Amino acid sequence: MANVSILQLIVNGIVYSSIIVLGSIGLSLVYSIGNFANFAHGDTMAVGAFGALVVAVGMNEYLLGPEAVVALPGAVESLLTATIFSLPLWFFVALVVGMAVAAIVVVVTEYIVYRPLDAGAVELLITSIGVALAYRALLILGFGSDPTTYGVGRSGRIEGIHAITGLSVTPRDIVIVGTTLLLVVSLHLLLQHTTLGRKMRATADNADLARVSGIRTEEVVLAMWVIGAALAAAGGVFLGLDTLIRPRMGFELLLLIFAAVILGGIGSVYGAMLGGFAIGMAYEMTAGLPFIGTQYNAAVAFIVMVAILLVRPNGILGSETT
Amino acid sequence: MVDNSRQPNRRTVLSATGTALALSIAGCLEGDGNGNGNGGNGGNGGNGNGDDSSDDEQVYQIGMVDSRTGSLAPYGERNERGMQLALEDINAVGIHDGYELEVILEDDETTNQGAVSAAQKLVNQDGVPLLIGSVGSGASMAMHNSVTKEEGVVHISQNSTGAVLTTEPDLLRTSPSGAAKGAALAELVLEDGYDTCAVTWINNDYGESLSSVFEEEYEGDLRYNEPHEPEGSSYRGELIEMAETEAEAWVFITYADEVTVMLNQAFDSGYHEEFAYYGAESTIADSIIENTEPGSQEGFKGITESAPEDQPNFQDYEDRFQAEFDQSPTVWSAYTYDALTIAALAIEAADDFTGEALSAVVRDVTRPDGEEVFTFEEAKAILEDGGTPDDIDYQGVSGPCDLDENGDPPGFYQIYTVEDHEYVWGDFIST
Repeated sequence: MANVSILQLIVNGIVYSSIIVLGSIGLSLVYSIGNFANFAHGDTMAVGAFGALVVAVGMNEYLLGPEAVVALPGAVESLLTATIFSLPLWFFVALVVGMAVAAIVVVVTEYIVYRPLDAGAVELLITSIGVALAYRALLILGFGSDPTTYGVGRSGRIEGIHAITGLSVTPRDIVIVGTTLLLVVSLHLLLQHTTLGRKMRATADNADLARVSGIRTEEVVLAMWVIGAALAAAGGVFLGLDTLIRPRMGFELLLLIFAAVILGGIGSVYGAMLGGFAIGMAYEMTAGLPFIGTQYNAAVAFIVMVAILLVRPNGILGSETT
Repeated sequence: MVDNSRQPNRRTVLSATGTALALSIAGCLEGDGNGNGNGGNGGNGGNGNGDDSSDDEQVYQIGMVDSRTGSLAPYGERNERGMQLALEDINAVGIHDGYELEVILEDDETTNQGAVSAAQKLVNQDGVPLLIGSVGSGASMAMHNSVTKEEGVVHISQNSTGAVLTTEPDLLRTSPSGAAKGAALAELVLEDGYDTCAVTWINNDYGESLSSVFEEEYEGDLRYNEPHEPEGSSYRGELIEMAETEAEAWVFITYADEVTVMLNQAFDSGYHEEFAYYGAESTIADSIIENTEPGSQEGFKGITESAPEDQPNFQDYEDRFQAEFDQSPTVWSAYTYDALTIAALAIEAADDFTGEALSAVVRDVTRPDGEEVFTFEEAKAILEDGGTPDDIDYQGVSGPCDLDENGDPPGFYQIYTVEDHEYVWGDFIST
């Protein structure tokens, strides 16, 4: 029983890490290209989750089902409700919409708040705290503060896997991990093999030199915000899928995401991925530690971060950038 | 070598991060306070908006702190309905010579810090001599210790059931202490045939006091009795630990959001088929049913406070509630109704509208000496006729409301079960 539990903890850790990785990549991008710590990142995740919620509510209450306000042609309806890994297709549409909504909100914030301020790192950090509170208040105003779900239903564990290995893995776990891998690999390809990626890495390295060599850093900053927000939104949607959608959901995760970014090395996106993975695993694996109760799992994650920083003060990949 | 030009200066980054972490801790405190301030201003749209407390208007202003947001928000909604009905009844008759009772309502966001901020605002800024609040036992204790005890403000909690409130005799409440409920829950688990048990409790005053009562009273093998953090994003670790003990029954002493996440994650792991679930009064809420999968909590049993269904004044209350809100009242709204009525009676009976004068009479209007009265109108008639607080014994819609020397009333309880993903009511238990 104990052996199976460790494997189960690893599975849980991988799922939770996926959510943290999605959040920490965006934060690290802003750190390296935008040069400040964005405290509104957790609430960007919440914005994404609520953006997807709008689609979910629209689907469930207005378009699908017997009480549909707008009658869809049968083919469209069956396409939307066709399930992949027990999640209906419209959920993935909602996911993309959530990512788009978060990207738009973040870009608007950049134009009306951060850019006009023209301030240094610490001032922008404090501003981002205000922006975070504003996002949360707007969400409460728009959606109320009651927790909700996407209404996709939970299917329980996959019995086949449980029979063979004794592990409880649900289809949505597979979706979460799979989509995270997809997004991370896409980001890697973007950074390494596209012009935009090259420009982003150059701006992260040395913004002035990049500008001198003809790169429009404004365009790069915009790309940074969009990508960071989209990934954060995906993380928020998955967190809402796994647990509940609440206005405060992002804020609670923020400390862990910061820990992940610092652990991975400030300014390194790949470091953020590793850091997110480490923090998420440490969080879930606390249950396997003999004398430490699970109520300390956040503390254990932070202790792991401090321990690694003692050995490598710049974080795991901190001496390189992007 | 660090290239100083390409990165923000390392000192800046480190100082920024340090500031950030310090602010985020402060943000956890201030964030709630600030958010509460905003929510509070928005929340003044409730009945009895106390904005213009000029001397021209004949009003008595009292403060009320409620959980309008956060994990205990279901209670906030129930309480506000009770408050509305109470204000209707009280202001139909008026206090003294046609004065109205106004309630300034603030949100504690289900956090202790939010509650203390709200109480400070009500007592220091609005100057209320009487405060009703709040739902969470930790919040009520925090408000009492930080604000109302020192300022001599009369403090009545409308929903707090933590046994710890009994240690503060000046902290009155219309909801009974959970001590009897904890004992009844322990008995229930044992009677159902489970002599091994695992308890997970929410890490605050409520969870701590109820779980320690359960621990004392449970006569079987308590294999696990650990706290979990409120508003967590994943409880899989706790669930795995409980499953490893192989206890047959699981007891959830926690709030709605937390138990929803736990039930869903337990469903993912198949625990709902292996273990029997038990809960208390905060694990029964419509939002839990809505946000969990049918079958994930089949057979979930619990004990919650209940109203005196055979009392005529509760039946009247039920009818009016049904007419106005199109749903059945919960006992929580009844507790709030009684808290407001007792407050109004105290104001009516006291010599002065100050904390000192009110606290001298507030218990007496509920004590068994005197004539039994069932509504504010009846009680006021006796007081206007020259009666003293000892001459009336207010019988509330939630029960006899006899506040003892610790400020606690007696309570009634009822067992509920989840059948076919709906709540079904069972036997009554009384203390």
